[in-house]
Amino acid sequence: MSDYAEIAVTTNFSFLRGASHPREFALTAAALGYAAIGIADRNTLAGVVRAYDALNQIGEKFGAAPRLLVGARLVFIDGTPDILAYPSDREAYGRLCRLLSAGKARAPKGECFLTLEDLYEWQNGLMLVVLPPERSMNPPEQPGGKYWNRGDPPLEISRNNRKPNLKAVQGLIENLRARAPGRVWLGVSMPHLGDDARRLAEWKRVAEEAGIPLIATNDALYHEPERRELQDVVTCIREHVTLDGAGRLLEVNAERYLKPRAEMAALFEDAPEAIAETIRFADRIGFSLDQLKYNYPDEPVPPGKTAQQHLEDLAWQGAAARYGAIPDKVRATLAKELALIGKMEIAPYFLTVHDIVQFAKSKSILCQGRGSAANSAVCFVLGITAVDPTEIDLLFERFVSQERKEPPDIDVDFEHERREDVIQNIYQRYGHHRAALTATVICYRPRSAIREVGKVFGLTEDVTAALADGVWGSWGESLRENEVRQGRLDPANALIARAVKMANELIGFPRHLSQHVGGFVLTRDRLDEIVPVGPAAMEDRHFIEWDKDDIDTLMMMKVDVLALGMLTCIRKALDLIRIHEGKTFDLATVPREDPAVYDMLCKADAIGVFQVESRAQMNMLPRLAPRNFYDLVIEVAIVRPGPIQGDMVHPYLRRRSGAEKVDYPSPSPGHGPADELRDVLGKTMGVPLFQEQAMKLAIVAAKFTAEEANGLRRSMATFRNAGTIDSFREKLVGGMAARGYAREFAERCFKQIEGFGSYGFPESHAASFAHLVYVSAWIKKHHPAAFACALLNSQPMGFYAPAEIVRDARDHDIEVRPVDVNFSHWDNTLEANGSALALRLGFRQIGGFREDWALALIAARGNAYDAVDDVSRRAHLPKRALVILAEADCFQSVAMDRRETLWAVRRLADSGQLPLFAAQFVEEQPEEEIDPLPSMPLSEHVLADYRMLRLSLRAHLMFFLRDLFRGEGVLSCAEISAAPDGVPASCAGIVLTRQMPGDAGVVFITLSDETGVTNVVVWPRLVETFRRAIMGARLLLIEGKVQRSPEGVVHLVADRVFDRTAELSRLSEDAPQFETHTHDLARHPRNVRIVPRSRDFH
Amino acid sequence: MVVEKAENALRLSALDRKASALGLSIGQPLADARAMLPELKVMAANEPADLKLLERIADWCERFTPYVALQPPRSLLLDVTGVAHLFGGEEALIDTIRERLRKQGLIVRGALAGTSLAARALARYRDGTVAPPGEDGRAIAPLPVEALDFDPETTHALRHAGLKTIGQVASRKRAELTARFGAGFVFALDAAFGRAEKPVSPRNPLPDYRTERNFAEPVTSEEIIRATLKSLAGALAQVLEKNGEGARRLGAVFFRADGAVARLAIETGAPTRDSAMIERLFREKLKSLADPLDPGFGFDLIRLSAGRTQKSESIAAELDADANAQKEIRYLIDRLAARFGAHRILAFRPNDTHIPEAAWMAQPAQYAEDSKIEWKRIRREKESPRRPLRFFAKAEPAAMLPSHLRWRSVARALAAREGPERIAMEWWRHQAPARDYYCAEDDEGRRYWLYRSASDLPQWFVQGLFA
Repeated sequence: MSDYAEIAVTTNFSFLRGASHPREFALTAAALGYAAIGIADRNTLAGVVRAYDALNQIGEKFGAAPRLLVGARLVFIDGTPDILAYPSDREAYGRLCRLLSAGKARAPKGECFLTLEDLYEWQNGLMLVVLPPERSMNPPEQPGGKYWNRGDPPLEISRNNRKPNLKAVQGLIENLRARAPGRVWLGVSMPHLGDDARRLAEWKRVAEEAGIPLIATNDALYHEPERRELQDVVTCIREHVTLDGAGRLLEVNAERYLKPRAEMAALFEDAPEAIAETIRFADRIGFSLDQLKYNYPDEPVPPGKTAQQHLEDLAWQGAAARYGAIPDKVRATLAKELALIGKMEIAPYFLTVHDIVQFAKSKSILCQGRGSAANSAVCFVLGITAVDPTEIDLLFERFVSQERKEPPDIDVDFEHERREDVIQNIYQRYGHHRAALTATVICYRPRSAIREVGKVFGLTEDVTAALADGVWGSWGESLRENEVRQGRLDPANALIARAVKMANELIGFPRHLSQHVGGFVLTRDRLDEIVPVGPAAMEDRHFIEWDKDDIDTLMMMKVDVLALGMLTCIRKALDLIRIHEGKTFDLATVPREDPAVYDMLCKADAIGVFQVESRAQMNMLPRLAPRNFYDLVIEVAIVRPGPIQGDMVHPYLRRRSGAEKVDYPSPSPGHGPADELRDVLGKTMGVPLFQEQAMKLAIVAAKFTAEEANGLRRSMATFRNAGTIDSFREKLVGGMAARGYAREFAERCFKQIEGFGSYGFPESHAASFAHLVYVSAWIKKHHPAAFACALLNSQPMGFYAPAEIVRDARDHDIEVRPVDVNFSHWDNTLEANGSALALRLGFRQIGGFREDWALALIAARGNAYDAVDDVSRRAHLPKRALVILAEADCFQSVAMDRRETLWAVRRLADSGQLPLFAAQFVEEQPEEEIDPLPSMPLSEHVLADYRMLRLSLRAHLMFFLRDLFRGEGVLSCAEISAAPDGVPASCAGIVLTRQMPGDAGVVFITLSDETGVTNVVVWPRLVETFRRAIMGARLLLIEGKVQRSPEGVVHLVADRVFDRTAELSRLSEDAPQFETHTHDLARHPRNVRIVPRSRDFH
Repeated sequence: MVVEKAENALRLSALDRKASALGLSIGQPLADARAMLPELKVMAANEPADLKLLERIADWCERFTPYVALQPPRSLLLDVTGVAHLFGGEEALIDTIRERLRKQGLIVRGALAGTSLAARALARYRDGTVAPPGEDGRAIAPLPVEALDFDPETTHALRHAGLKTIGQVASRKRAELTARFGAGFVFALDAAFGRAEKPVSPRNPLPDYRTERNFAEPVTSEEIIRATLKSLAGALAQVLEKNGEGARRLGAVFFRADGAVARLAIETGAPTRDSAMIERLFREKLKSLADPLDPGFGFDLIRLSAGRTQKSESIAAELDADANAQKEIRYLIDRLAARFGAHRILAFRPNDTHIPEAAWMAQPAQYAEDSKIEWKRIRREKESPRRPLRFFAKAEPAAMLPSHLRWRSVARALAAREGPERIAMEWWRHQAPARDYYCAEDDEGRRYWLYRSASDLPQWFVQGLFA
């Protein structure tokens, strides 16, 4: 059998053209015994790393694999036929990247505009295969000319670039040959169009006349013929047509797959040299992705020093600064880590991260590192993290893969409002050609897949919406039958069945590339010679074509520059403490292990505290009762899908409370030491809770190799990586069972690993987060006013709405003062209140009020305003602003009734009014004698407060309905909290949050009234019955049973759920006396809802 | 339940009683509503259709008064000055209108007052009220301020000031109100109280494509009938031209003196307003009638109307010969269709598909839309045709033997063969094996278009002949 290499493969990274994953092509090519496979996507290299990875794995498994040829199919906008470009060496590869980058730079995001001139400029070293336009019966494709017109020089777009024109192809070959002698081929395929043999003869003649070799391809779009259907579907999605309307836009047959070598040889019977040429072609390519030697930027290293020397100097200096006298344990750890870093040659990585962190610190932007290497002693002494290695015992070498010399992983969180400064600094320091974001591959998810596929099948929007809505959230891996049923559709209907089948195949297909939120790749040499770089949607941002897995595969360095709202909050709180209390703290100097802080957390008094403020965490706090830092690390990690799915939470809690004996599962005696898991699970009482423990478990208990464990970790992290995680299942469970572990324990471990998949939480991340939990809890405990103020000033963030934050502050005896034209600033501020501090609400709390208005108001304030028109005259605010201030009742210090103020403000002339209309208003306003307006009842005041501020300092809305509900025997939240276990009770309140974690179907609702909050649990079987009320109501009445845990955590378990939202309309004194058919009246003119929406988390 | 796109989301814009009883509300995003009630039945809002319905109701109301004004989206204002006594007084009139509309399945609210604003406000909040003359102010005073339909900002300001009924607002000083809400506001208030009047603007009439002629003496002569049709067509053409439209369907109604009515209808393939042509088409139609138009004692009224019209640019635009030839063909089609029936005059149109037998279809020529694709694209320049001249509607089975083809019981020795052209079937309709097509020539120079169906048992068919 003759050898063959396929050089024209279009994967699904040629979006909506290819219909197979690079990995599928790689596997098929290996199975068919191809000598090589050339991935050539349309103007992109986005898919090559995945093929590279797949082929490497095949190579490791079977000892041999087809070679990967890295190339691109150049598609031009000037009418030139497609050309496959394969770099022959590393330099030529760099030029190909530059060529594609140039094409992307001048096109809108996601596109690449190339002309033949561009190819001429960068062709050196590229091997070029001209693909004469296919002469199928497809109608000519119009080039995407609508975006064109921005490049220079201006180009004519040929209208019918697909028209077969022998002369044009000959001319092109002539021109290419003159510029790239010996590097031009003519590619032909046999697509079964009837006249294949004739065409082959014709091109053979053309090639001979031009003196260039003919090369065979099958121009593959998918790896197996069955994928034709999906290819038709993606074509329809691309062209915005239905299958019935697509006509000849679709391929005529299913021939463009990877064919067996014998079949290729038979097809090219008349030109066997074209088959042989594929091997010669592959042999001439000297480039492989292995040659991409990543190099670290050298900015952070001063001249005359090596990176390692510099890092060691910085580390010892830092240690001295942190500790004064360096403890022996730290000294030993540091020395060990530094030696390992030296051995792995990753010192520049730490220096680069240090460099970025140093910049942030110089601008006093708070930041903290996390990630596998972040909790090392080195990172602590360099100031990258504030987690003291003496507090937590994390083994650095456990997180770095020594075999692969892979750089470790450090993410750095910055204040969310100031991260942009850090990013701009990175661009300034390294330049746009050396710094860019990584890509995120946006894939089809069940919702998007069914929506697009539904359109293609001509299903109405209604049906696809019903199908899509059947999917809760959008992270599932496939549409399941019951989800189809949930959409009230019959899965047995042939059309729907087909659409669902296609949608399932489409799920996981890349859809487009987007920029990663903050993953930066930095290099010493030009980055655009390593990978094509293109502009992002955001002005002045660029991103590369590879995502973080690709970067991992190629062992390139990446620093994640992320945004974290809590850091903003902590910085603002620390600033307030410094200003008002004269005490200076930073993340590392906040007093450690303060028992008062843990006392507070044990009581679940945690509103606003980082991470542990969610419903689930607040329930966990009293059960876990954290007493030291490591308890917080566990607290953060345990309320996660991984441990929950793996059913590890309760065993841990039982062991912690002493109700269960701590023991370690052990293998059969013949298989190793009985306590082999003690090392792995010792810190967590024999229950695996962290991602690292699961990995370690796989190595120790199921005898995974380090590489296999790494593969397991990566298959967990990557969404639907072609089902690879399943292949590990048998290996792990079987491996453990074979060594004598209980199969049930092994299954649970695997379940947990699966759970880690999308929400992995390694110990090192948990440690960094736990530190922020501690710091924010410490601030809340000791400086509650500053904490509440900072939280409000950092909104939106966290779990709770301003109303709850304010209520919590008042519960902690903080006086909260209303927004006032004479006292407030834009931000919320602190004011002296005797020896304590009071919180003054700022103008930012007022919905619709603008910061520039606030600044003008404050600037003109002088000593004080003494009347409404005084404000109008001096601050030159538009009337609209004054109306908002009056509605929000901000004139209290001017001592006027809210209604009178508003009535007066309405009379003022608007400085922004057109002169013509201004004449209607009296310019010089005389004193007005008017009758008093009806006085405003308290309930209406509260409603107006909610409307303008989303909170009220006067009263809770439920206060006004208390008598009504009392009459029905409904308890208040406080009474529920005090009720004994098991009593039937009902409770009513405003819905604060709704949560539907995972796919268990249970719904958690938090209700609030004037006495506190009640946590409601609705079991799945009730959710369907009361769905309408659960999903739609603002005010709920719950009938159920009180459930009180031994630790005092109280739930109301619902039996019946009632939507009582209508009661809210009683609060306005004009209760609906009239039936109206125009419901729009219920809405506020500025479209503000009277009762703020609940915050829902799915 | 009806949805509409507003503020970047699909929102509910109308609900039936059942839906509002279930707690849905207007303005709610559809996604939220669906989360509450997955089985919701949803329709997209259709403003033109709503308006049309309102117009139809307005038409119907014209039986009560000629002054009917539309107040979209869902109100009608009837000026009944001086007509109420015809229907038994004001109370009876409003009850009659409400009752009879209700019987048509509509939800109706109505009221009668001295001013249009007052009537409107009462209709919305006090269904069925008749305000006694001069008592408009008293009648509307207890209504909420929303009833007067000020802009939401003004309504909100009034409510916020504690002025929640029209009476409360009216009790404030005029200067006080003018200073805050402008003179227009006070004028509107006056209008509602009958101190100033807002004029009612009746509807614009729709263009009426209908012409008719009365005859003092019933006509029986076919000559005169034809001449009448022609002159009516001329009159109709003028109206059509003025509105830039052409007729696609025309109807003639012949009212016989003894009360019998005969109707004729013709259709055209393109919008037309050529009176001579219209007359000719009717003549064709008359000739084709099995039961000819019997004038009996003569027709005393002939009416010609355009039932369906379409935008059509001016005739002057079509001067070139090609367009004229096209026009001639269309005219011929119309004449033939008038005589033999539209379904019998067919034209072939190309169909965009790879499947050979579906690549064209015959459609009634009058309705055949111009295809987006052209015939010539399928065949390439300077090459032999890719599809046979003679195409069998049903491919004929054949047997392929090593040396020859056996088809229609005759063995034909094949001299040459090219192919295959592999055509896959449309998998989303039905699973069928792909076909391999070949061009073959026998030793006598006959050319066949053959295919082999790629199923388990390969089967050969002759699909057509080239020559």
